Amino acid sequence: MNTLAALLLLIGCVVAPVSQAQIRHIEMRVEGMT
Amino acid sequence: MKQHLGRQSGVQNVEVSLIDGKVEITPKGDGQIDPVQLLKATYDSGVTVAEMNVTARGKIAKDSSGNLALQVEPNRSFPVEPNEMSKGLDSLAGTPAMVTVRGQLYKKPPGKKQKVDTSVPLKLLILEVEKRE
Repeated sequence: MNTLAALLLLIGCVVAPVSQAQIRHIEMRVEGMT
Repeated sequence: MKQHLGRQSGVQNVEVSLIDGKVEITPKGDGQIDPVQLLKATYDSGVTVAEMNVTARGKIAKDSSGNLALQVEPNRSFPVEPNEMSKGLDSLAGTPAMVTVRGQLYKKPPGKKQKVDTSVPLKLLILEVEKRE
């Protein structure tokens, strides 16, 4: 039972950051680049 | 410029296309990336930013004046510039629903090269709502 709880906690730690709000991608158009 | 941007907090990868003047930035997953710092860093490297677009996932919040904002991190949100796309998000304000949007955070005013005014908060002009959850 403890093993199962630990496993679920571990999965939660891996999945949680993915579901967070965040900036995913940034794209800029620039001028004057050589 | 690539090295300059790559050193900024929260930046994982920078791809520069010299042909069309495009810079693609992939953030780390740590939520430390700051678009204002990226604008400043780009300017400091001697290049003018004509436009900055972001794809972001977050919650819709509404302030006391009824203005919408996209909260992308607990301590960072972008006021939403009202347009047709933002009208559809009004009903999600204050709910736990998450949205993924693509929008314009910065566009250079017409005219000569000028320093980015960081005293004015960047407003997000929503171009596309990619996902609602």
